[in-house]
Amino acid sequence: MSEQLAIEMIDVTKIYPNGVVANRDVNFRVKKGEIHALMGENGAGKSTLMKILFGMEKPTHGEIYVNGDLVDLSSPHDAISKGVGMVHQHFMLVPSLTVAENIVLGMVPRKKGVFIDFKEAIKITQDYSRKYNLPVDPFAKVADIPVGMKQKVEILKALVRGAEILILDEPTAVLTTQETRELFIELKNLKEKGFTIIFISHKLNEIMEITDRMTILKDGKSVGIYETKDSTPESISRAMVGRDVVLGIEKEKSNPTDTILKVRNLNYVNAWNKQMLKNVSFSLRKGEILGVAGVEGNGQKELVDALFNFIEVDSGEIEFKGESILNLSQGQLRSRNISLVPEDRMLFGIAANASVKENIISDRSHYPKYNKGPLFNMSEINKDVNQLVDDFLINCSSLEQNVGMLSGGNIQKVVVAREFSSNPELIIADQPTRGIDVGATEFIRSKLIELSRSGAGVLLISADLNEVMELSDSLIIMSGGEIVAYFEDTKGLEDDEMGRFMLGIDRQEDSKIQEVCYE
Amino acid sequence: MSKRNSLLFNVVRSLAAIAIALIVATFLVFFSSTSTGFLEKLADTAEALEALLVRPFIKANGTFNSKAFLDVLASMIPIMFTGLATTVMFSANQFNLGSEGGIMLGAFIAALSAIYLPLPTIILPIVSILLGSLAAMLVLLIPATLKAKLNISEMVNSLMLNYIIMYLINFVLTSYVADRSKGQLVTHQIQKHAALPQLVGGGSKLSVGFIIGLIAVILVTIFMYRTRWGYNIRMIGKNQEFARYSGINVAFYIILAQAIGGILAGMGGAVEMLGRYNAYDWKALPGYGWTGITVAILANNNPAFVPFAAFFMSFLGKGTELMSTYSNVPNQLLNIIQAIIFLFFAANNFLSRYRQRLVVKSAEEEMASELGGK
Repeated sequence: MSEQLAIEMIDVTKIYPNGVVANRDVNFRVKKGEIHALMGENGAGKSTLMKILFGMEKPTHGEIYVNGDLVDLSSPHDAISKGVGMVHQHFMLVPSLTVAENIVLGMVPRKKGVFIDFKEAIKITQDYSRKYNLPVDPFAKVADIPVGMKQKVEILKALVRGAEILILDEPTAVLTTQETRELFIELKNLKEKGFTIIFISHKLNEIMEITDRMTILKDGKSVGIYETKDSTPESISRAMVGRDVVLGIEKEKSNPTDTILKVRNLNYVNAWNKQMLKNVSFSLRKGEILGVAGVEGNGQKELVDALFNFIEVDSGEIEFKGESILNLSQGQLRSRNISLVPEDRMLFGIAANASVKENIISDRSHYPKYNKGPLFNMSEINKDVNQLVDDFLINCSSLEQNVGMLSGGNIQKVVVAREFSSNPELIIADQPTRGIDVGATEFIRSKLIELSRSGAGVLLISADLNEVMELSDSLIIMSGGEIVAYFEDTKGLEDDEMGRFMLGIDRQEDSKIQEVCYE
Repeated sequence: MSKRNSLLFNVVRSLAAIAIALIVATFLVFFSSTSTGFLEKLADTAEALEALLVRPFIKANGTFNSKAFLDVLASMIPIMFTGLATTVMFSANQFNLGSEGGIMLGAFIAALSAIYLPLPTIILPIVSILLGSLAAMLVLLIPATLKAKLNISEMVNSLMLNYIIMYLINFVLTSYVADRSKGQLVTHQIQKHAALPQLVGGGSKLSVGFIIGLIAVILVTIFMYRTRWGYNIRMIGKNQEFARYSGINVAFYIILAQAIGGILAGMGGAVEMLGRYNAYDWKALPGYGWTGITVAILANNNPAFVPFAAFFMSFLGKGTELMSTYSNVPNQLLNIIQAIIFLFFAANNFLSRYRQRLVVKSAEEEMASELGGK
């Protein structure tokens, strides 16, 4: 071995107690002193792999070497003692204690072996803070400090405990642009001091800026290791989402008719005081697929949440067929024939412990044809569910099988079988094919086209360039919570061009963007 | 993991929990024996275990112990109702512990109604049971509504509510409805025609309440698995976010589940009162609500399994009672055995390695078949 490896994980497989295979024979190698990105879509297995490395989960099988030694990590304590530290996406700090107290928590300096030595705690904090150029206020209560400083406290916490290898789990997700810039300077600084950093993210621009190499995970498997300097955002996204798959979906030209959905001037500021939606306005017509492209975390999720009333927007208007649907309950939205394929299918799309049948009828158990007086009309329900299982090619052993036992692709087919079969007039499809196999992906995409051509309006939100380009009739691009571009026709659009809009480098004229707002 | 495998796992797990509890019980009996020699202690232990496990069915002379067995069935009545009540509430993921207070209030209100209402035969017991159910339902609506509207923990509220109910009943009993001619605190006698008919004679106390309980089991099972309301309750319990996203009115069903829990608990109290007692004299919480929680957990929240779980608990109760009569073992042992069984059932990770092996095996099979299929 020419170069020394800080971390080597060999053939790591993790099967969770619910049967989900999160990692399959993953190999992961990080050189000493590099910033190494771990990339992949949600659900690709990044977090699981890092939890294993930090001792929070035990691998089903596989070997882990830290600095060349085979280790058995059965708790974070073990990992820390081997010099591995982790900064979680959701901070693990005690809000009511001061910065210094948080930093020494669990390894408190003592006076005469009994009393807590606060002075020493502050001194430790100041020493490390100066040494690693991570300015924090040791006296401030954690509850009172900004998010950026909390992250510095987390990093210091790991450093004080002797971490030489730092895992940062989506560190920029909660940060503002300035805080991100600051963090990157600090990370480069740490790298120069010889630290090894594992950086989890799916933001292409950040990866390009800060990392030396990257490992890309897809469906729990490692796709490969790439040198950042030899990669382009396009080659990365191709590796991440498997863009080489040729779909060849034939779709006839759309023939849009009446406007069905009108969104005007939506604004939303989230709990971290970050503006996630900025004056978002667009219209959607019957018979067309409007794609929403963008790097994840640029307001797409909030847009969907606003449309389906999971969040309350600060201002703006949403009209469906000329009628305001702002703040209608999900039941009322569904009775107006609005469907949602949710981004997080395990949390919203299904109940994992319920059967295929129970999952398919969740939005329609009150239909008159499924009820005979107070009782369910089981034969009618079974007939329709059987039909849907056949139509949507759901591979299950019986209607009574628990959905959680199915593969990702089949779970998503259960979701779309329900959402596409309620005679929807508006379908919101949020990452409808994320993390599922090629067969199911193609199936779901062709269903979406079929539904739009028979008159439904489809709003397709996808981080998968391939998908939005192939499916959408017209396209908007979101960046920083705003719509930054509108294309009436997706034909002839170049990846590079789109990439520049997605990364917020370019922005169309306002008058051009406003063309997506018709009556 | 396939349905068959998870069923297999649950059966193995239940049997293992019971077996371990009995092994621990054996040791406890052995060491608490007052005999001196090892062999004598062993003989004592065998005798005690025989009393615990066999006596409720068979007398020492080898004939069927009908009296003990009828006692077992009779004491199933209240815990079937509280078990059902808990099942419905837990199915919606509502940890409402109010069936304890509910059953006490149901018994009290049914007693008052049976003492004072001038109603004819058949009508009087029916009205009394309905009033008892209604009262408990109204009371459980308090924590239910607070949870649904203001997201206040139903567990804490219902737990505290139990004591409010208990003291309120004691207050009313002492101040207004006690029979002053009696030496202890008890109401007047209920009207003769309010009592539920006994199924068998001989003072076994196995009343028609047992049949009502079984009917309730069937109705609740149908309700939970064959109606849209029960379905919605279960979906909320399985994944509340999913239920909300699907358009189910979560707040309404959270309240409904607890209202039904209240009705069942109150009905249990009323049936127990009219089937077993001549006058109301409970001054403390009767404990049936707590046992109902054990029953619901043993039954894995499936109402159809409630009678079996109730039988098991009732059988253990009788067994330990006989054990303390015929051997030198204290009947507090029941609580220890119960606690151990409860512990292993409630411990999610008990036998989790065995389960993980089953899961890994079927996941690997699936992966292999996926590869083969491509």
